[in-house]
Amino acid sequence: MIQVLDVVIAGLLLGGLYALIAMGLSLQYGVARVLNVSHGEFIMLGGMTTWMLYSGFHINPLLAVAICGPGAFLLGFILHRTMFKRLLALSASPGIFESNSMLASFGLLFIIQNIAFMIWGPEIRGYSYLAFPVDLGGALFGANRLVTLGFAIAIGLAFYTFLARTRMGKAIRAAAQDPVTAGLLGVDINLVLALCFGFGAAMASIAGVLISISYPVNATMGLEYTIIAIIVVVLGGLGSIPGSFIGGFVLGIVGSIVTSIEPGLALVAYYVIFMLLLLVKPTGILGR
Amino acid sequence: MSENGSTELAESENKKEERMSTKHLTRREFIRGAALTGAGLVVAACAPAPTPPPPQVVKETVVVAGTPQIVEKIITPTPVPTAVPTKAAVKDKIVVGMSRPLSGPLAQIGDSAFKPIYETWVKEVNDAGGIQVKELNKKLPIELKVYDDKSDVGTMTRLTEKLIVEDKVDFLWPGCGTSFIFAQAPIANKYGYVLVTAEGGATSIKDMLPSLPYVFVTLSFSDWYQLPVFADLMAEKGAKTAFIAYIADLHGIEYSGVAGIEFPKKGINILGVKSLPPDIKDLSPVIKEAKASNADIFCCFAYPDQIMPATGTSMELGYNPKAWLGGPGVNFGFYATTFGPAIEGVMGFTTFSAKQSATAKALADKLYTGKPRELQDWWGHPLYWAGLEMWKQAIEKAGTLNQEKIRDVLTKEHFNTVLGDTWFVNGLLAKESHTGEIGQWQKDQFEVVGPKNKATAALVYPKPAWPTK
Repeated sequence: MIQVLDVVIAGLLLGGLYALIAMGLSLQYGVARVLNVSHGEFIMLGGMTTWMLYSGFHINPLLAVAICGPGAFLLGFILHRTMFKRLLALSASPGIFESNSMLASFGLLFIIQNIAFMIWGPEIRGYSYLAFPVDLGGALFGANRLVTLGFAIAIGLAFYTFLARTRMGKAIRAAAQDPVTAGLLGVDINLVLALCFGFGAAMASIAGVLISISYPVNATMGLEYTIIAIIVVVLGGLGSIPGSFIGGFVLGIVGSIVTSIEPGLALVAYYVIFMLLLLVKPTGILGR
Repeated sequence: MSENGSTELAESENKKEERMSTKHLTRREFIRGAALTGAGLVVAACAPAPTPPPPQVVKETVVVAGTPQIVEKIITPTPVPTAVPTKAAVKDKIVVGMSRPLSGPLAQIGDSAFKPIYETWVKEVNDAGGIQVKELNKKLPIELKVYDDKSDVGTMTRLTEKLIVEDKVDFLWPGCGTSFIFAQAPIANKYGYVLVTAEGGATSIKDMLPSLPYVFVTLSFSDWYQLPVFADLMAEKGAKTAFIAYIADLHGIEYSGVAGIEFPKKGINILGVKSLPPDIKDLSPVIKEAKASNADIFCCFAYPDQIMPATGTSMELGYNPKAWLGGPGVNFGFYATTFGPAIEGVMGFTTFSAKQSATAKALADKLYTGKPRELQDWWGHPLYWAGLEMWKQAIEKAGTLNQEKIRDVLTKEHFNTVLGDTWFVNGLLAKESHTGEIGQWQKDQFEVVGPKNKATAALVYPKPAWPTK
């Protein structure tokens, strides 16, 4: 029983991070139609900035959430208002915009990664924070990971509430379903898309902060998290924020179960799920 | 809307074509075109002459010790007679080529391992005027030509051939990592380039070294002579069982394989072996399994990407085996800056400590004083430094830049380096030249604890428990 609890909770701990990362990408791809390959670079920026703040200025990593989140939001918002808005205006169709924006985000990936290289170098970075065991029903877990899970769930739920209960949230959901009609009904589409891109970047950055609490970080860490985020977004259903949230936890638990049997098969398991889903339910868990 | 757009676009394209087909070339346009063509030809004529064709490798049958053998020879095309001085006559520098992981996952190792060594060493040698080459009767400074292989073995092999064949560098310095030197060594040997390696173990390549006479391995590794020393230390302290986690690549396979041989020799049973994929995120299932095994020793034969989370997860789960050994990773300064005093008693691979001798202290001061602590590497740095010293002394002893003669000196002679009396045995740095094999963090210093005759501190066993707050 303890072993099952062990595996499930370990999966939830990892899944919380995956959920947060994927919700950000889901906003960017599902609403703003930008398959942001540089999503992981915002995670890296969050992680590296937190390490810098903690090791250089002794700023609590949990406080870094309040610095990295708004900072990344601003960066994402400006990027969309400048680069992606211009690309959107120049693209003849949504399909062309999707491919153009994906290529542009590839460029963004290299630019951000190389700037990070110049600032922090390629060395692996980390710090020790709340690294002590906590007993949960006989199963031991790191206190830092439990804090990470708590933050991931709180931020995920807060954002879901924002989408479900606020006027701006309604505008975002409308834009995700039908941007042309939403525009005709008075929604400022360009503002909504930029907000979504900004929120996506903020979530990635906050995920980066939380990752740095439990795992080492470096300037090249971004791409592997982008791949995981893409898998989770497809798993949850394109454009579905709750789908991404659930998909993140599903992938985390599957990864944890497989790792407990054979660690080398964790990534294989992710791709097997991905392929099975595309064959059985291509729209994803909550996709339409 | 998009349909209208595409119709307008098609119409505008048709009009453009019509305009182009009806337009005639004016005299002014013709003259402008001719002038541009002429200017282009002038620029082309001023370009450097094409480089001569690369040396060709041909197979030739020769008789060695009464036996016909096929050997590969490099045939350089005869240069066209010219009035300008030849390259040898105006030789004013030694060009050294390298393919290094300046980006990608291995950059974090390359940047803190060999890179700070060659940068410091080359500057020091050049500041002193360079390397004395007797046959040219002058000192030649070193010029580095470094390409980024992006941590990819295939790219590294292509860049190595490019450095040799196209760039015609005078010497080759090594790539970064076990699998990289495994792939690079035969290439260097094929073209007759001396290769003194840096990062990377050689358990797999060791048996091939007799057929690779141009290759010299400096770094200590699993069965040369780290794990035999570690097994001795553990057996002496009464350790009976071990759990091994290893990265699923050549490095991990080599180390876990050697542990599988050396540990049982000393009566240490291996209770579990787990391979780790390079992209593993959560190590808690592995650490929990190791904890459940209750083994005396935990070994993590992996890279910093896995060593760091393995350490963090061990702390988080309160996993306190009597000995915790990991590497490469534990030996770097960034390990200490990341975990602080919590790493008391953690073991890794090492070569030296500043306490060992005045020479060791001088090297440590030269490399580390006034620099970020993250860049310290107590395992590889002195060996890489010694390798470069041996390479320089071999050139000076040979008195020439001829690779074959330098190879012969490296094979036969002893050298005075930062390690003391240093020499190669069958292409490997003699284990007698190593100034340490196993290190342990004690009071914020990475002490040499094995072999005992070179130790700077006694081994602490069992390791103190991780802090609980």
